[in-house]
Amino acid sequence: MTPLLWRALLRHPLRHPWQLGLSILGIALGVAVVLAVDLANASARRSFELTMNRVTGHATHQLVGGPAGIPETLYRDLRVERGFRFAAPVVTGYLPKMNQPGQLLQILGIDPFAEGPFRAAITNPTGGSLDLRSLLQQPDAALMPPALGAAVTLQRGHQSFTLKSVGVLDGPEMEGLLITDISTAQSLLGLSGRLSHVDLILPDGPTGERLARELRAWLPSSFRVENAAGRNQATADLSAAFSLNLTAMSLLALVVGAFLIYNAISFSVVQRRSLLGMLRALGATRGELFLGVLGEALLLGIAGVLLGGLLGLWLGSGLVQLVTRTINDLYYTVSVREFLIDPWSLGKGAALGILATLAAAWLPAREAANAPPGAALSRTHLESRWQAAVPRWVFAGLACLGSGGLIFSLSDSLIAGFSGVFLLIFGCALLTPPAVVYFVRLNQPLVGRLNLIARMANRDVARHLSRTGIAVAALMVAFATTVGVGVMVDSFRGGVAIWIKDLLNADLYIAPIGVEGGDHAEVLQATTLAALRTTPGVAAVSTYRRASTELNGRPVQLIATELAPAAQAGYHLIAGQGTTAWRAFQTGESVLISEPLAYRQRLSVGDALPLMTADGLHQFTIAGIYLDYGSEHGRILIQRASYERYWRDTGIGSAAVFAVPGENLATLRARLQENLGPLQPLMIRPNRDIQARTLEIFDRTFTITQVLRLLAILVAVVGVLSALSALQLERAREFAVLRATGMTSREIGLLVSLQTGFMGAVAGLLAFPVGLLLAAVLIFVINRRAFGWSLPYHFDPWLLLETLTLAILAALLAGLYPIWRMAHTQPADALRAE
Amino acid sequence: MQTPTPALAFVSIGNLSKDYAEGDKKRTIFKDMNLEIGRGEFVALLGQSGSGKSTLLNLLGGIDLPDAGTIRIEDRSLAALTESERTRFRRRHIGFVFQFFNLIPTLTVQENLLLPLELNGLTTEAEQHRATELLAYIKLSDRRDSFPERLSGGEQQRLAIARAIVHRPLLLLADEPTGNLDTATGERILELLLDLHHQTATTIIMVTHSHEVAARADRALYLESGQIRDITR
Repeated sequence: MTPLLWRALLRHPLRHPWQLGLSILGIALGVAVVLAVDLANASARRSFELTMNRVTGHATHQLVGGPAGIPETLYRDLRVERGFRFAAPVVTGYLPKMNQPGQLLQILGIDPFAEGPFRAAITNPTGGSLDLRSLLQQPDAALMPPALGAAVTLQRGHQSFTLKSVGVLDGPEMEGLLITDISTAQSLLGLSGRLSHVDLILPDGPTGERLARELRAWLPSSFRVENAAGRNQATADLSAAFSLNLTAMSLLALVVGAFLIYNAISFSVVQRRSLLGMLRALGATRGELFLGVLGEALLLGIAGVLLGGLLGLWLGSGLVQLVTRTINDLYYTVSVREFLIDPWSLGKGAALGILATLAAAWLPAREAANAPPGAALSRTHLESRWQAAVPRWVFAGLACLGSGGLIFSLSDSLIAGFSGVFLLIFGCALLTPPAVVYFVRLNQPLVGRLNLIARMANRDVARHLSRTGIAVAALMVAFATTVGVGVMVDSFRGGVAIWIKDLLNADLYIAPIGVEGGDHAEVLQATTLAALRTTPGVAAVSTYRRASTELNGRPVQLIATELAPAAQAGYHLIAGQGTTAWRAFQTGESVLISEPLAYRQRLSVGDALPLMTADGLHQFTIAGIYLDYGSEHGRILIQRASYERYWRDTGIGSAAVFAVPGENLATLRARLQENLGPLQPLMIRPNRDIQARTLEIFDRTFTITQVLRLLAILVAVVGVLSALSALQLERAREFAVLRATGMTSREIGLLVSLQTGFMGAVAGLLAFPVGLLLAAVLIFVINRRAFGWSLPYHFDPWLLLETLTLAILAALLAGLYPIWRMAHTQPADALRAE
Repeated sequence: MQTPTPALAFVSIGNLSKDYAEGDKKRTIFKDMNLEIGRGEFVALLGQSGSGKSTLLNLLGGIDLPDAGTIRIEDRSLAALTESERTRFRRRHIGFVFQFFNLIPTLTVQENLLLPLELNGLTTEAEQHRATELLAYIKLSDRRDSFPERLSGGEQQRLAIARAIVHRPLLLLADEPTGNLDTATGERILELLLDLHHQTATTIIMVTHSHEVAARADRALYLESGQIRDITR
């Protein structure tokens, strides 16, 4: 490649700054979305690691118990009876700041005398004067980050606690952490006499394994010794599907971006076919032209990546808040909210952007290399070649669709699911140019009755298929993505709304105030429950107790319940016979499990379910599987008496109240408040409130999806502007001839608008069925594989109108600049410029 | 000037056949055509529209391939070369002049002229000097930094001719170089070509519709019904 050859090629984009700018913006937006999501995921992951590591410290193992933790006496026995020195007790949990329920602070209760080898780097990061014993010298003392000031007031239920700072925890990883002594933490978290776990340091290798074995043999069967890193990893894995979904969504934006890049580059190649032909006639080789076009794309890619990098950093700092909030809502608590600029993410985003650009430019570069020398190939020839290729497009498109379907059926992994999605999208894109030809033919009888301009507009779309086909395909993909994701979210929301309405079919729900702040350890007192059952107007009461347990190493929720007969109707059994299942459930030896748990662990009705109880492993039988969107990792519903017996936990976390028919709910609520309020501070809420709160969390979870969807729309609009304005600008000479022939600027404006509007409409019309197909795959394949949920499928017909309107408006907008330019250029200049 | 004899054939065409598909039908352009052109000859090629004049130039330039027969230029068979070798042969030994100038719109006047030199790696000072002289010779020195679109038709064609010979090709193929110009400008362009021919003894094959123009060539050939005949008077 000689410098002049480079200059001959590269001056073309420089002479079309609008096209150049829009192409770079298209790449930049694609890269920005991928980078932002990756940075947000990496930051969330890093925040989680910081949150976990500051608690885990150098512990290699942890001694853990059931939902109620472990008794202090076990720790004493471990040190005194067993003489095990490398052990440190930990009490940890989360409490909100007073009057700021959303801002959770992590409490870490430690024993300053046992701490030495465990968290030295964290509790004394500078190796300086921080003295842990100061925690013992004053009541309510804590080490806290400087941002919290000299004191902080926490809230648990109706109680408030003020902690005074006796030392400062420096560093971003200390955000939201309070270190206290064990007894302060116990009183803050309501864990009197209990520990969350005991940290252990066991030596590496066979000695450590032997010690762990000995400890396990010594421990009562309800306690376990677990590997600390494995336990943290299991928690981190909870949000893996969520992160993967976000990554896939962001890749979808990049695919849309890549289509637009393909569109832009192939456009610039087609526009330059005579230039390329001349260069070939002068002796430029195919390889040189191929490299030239690819090099030009690379430069575009680099510019796009740089701009996208900056946009991505800005966007990522916003997204990380949404990601950590969703993780906090759904998975585990992350109190560090640091935005981490991960060089690996930056590198990955840049590489993906460049690779997508090069991949998108590959075919146009080959087209350029194959340009016949001497500009021998006429436009008509080029277009007739495209027309002749229509059957091949159909075949290739159907082949892609078939391969996508085959991948779905051959593998049930999530990655295979996403590969299938991308093949489907690609297949539909390949079918678009033939569809454009079909729409033009379909439109012919209609425009035949209209004037010449309408007939020209319609005919030109098929005549310029080499450009219009690609542009409409790019727009279709962009809009189909937004339709698909939109329908998926709407369907999901519809399903959740019905599910929560059926499930929460009691009239009023009662829980201790602390439950609101995430403290599920707090319970309803026995006197409160007794008073509740005897309050006039109460027909029946269901009780619930939520606890965590593990199944095959994965955490699952255990819901111990005593259900009123009416409450049973709220559970939709999708496997197991209703009456039989409930009868088996009532025996206490059978349980009901949620659909995601059954899907993930491949469990069926009748299977045995080994659960770790206070007396060790006990086999329960699965009596039924019920529809549940409450937890993607699964729930186990167990009869209350059985739970009390096997887990020795008599606490009740909340209660649902069925009113006597005809009872006024407001009156009943006031009466309950009056009767129970003096016994215990409670939240008494009608089912509507909880349903609304559930949907609020749902909407919050999907905020990030909506943000990504809006970004995909933005990429699409940029694509419309870029593709259609380039198409029209290229026709400057044709318009000049028309004007010279006597057509007014207004008439040419109409011609351009009819054409761009028609292309927008075709893209919008095609995007709808493709989007619905995409939604079906997202709902029935992707969501199922990622979360184990079966979702209903429904869409709002208004979405068709919305998509169509947006596509047409964006397309019309794209015509404005060429119309303006044409109106402000003398036809003679345009003719001469050619 | 001495007219070269076919015995010293520089361009040799043997049994050349070429068809084009027109829908379901086949249109024959050449059928077993033979032709020899000597080194340094200035040949005018006439014929009606569609008779295959431009196709013949494309075949000689190696940008199209015959269906049958051979084309040899200086003892090299074009059909025996690979696509890449043909391109390199064209780059080094052939110059093209088109009716519609076909200048590179993204390069300036000077850059257009330098492009064949650069493509051939002829970047010595002597070559650059020759380009500058050539630019002066075609009277475009003061327009060296203009882009082609700012030039008149005559200026564009002068530049196109200069670009076609700047790298001293063995063969110059000109496809109606005056066809898009007014009579006076066309006359000047022809003078330029003849002048260059005398100075450099480059073999020139020029397509034209004008018998007056053809009369000034060494030989005039007429293409008709897939065959060629000599009409030199």
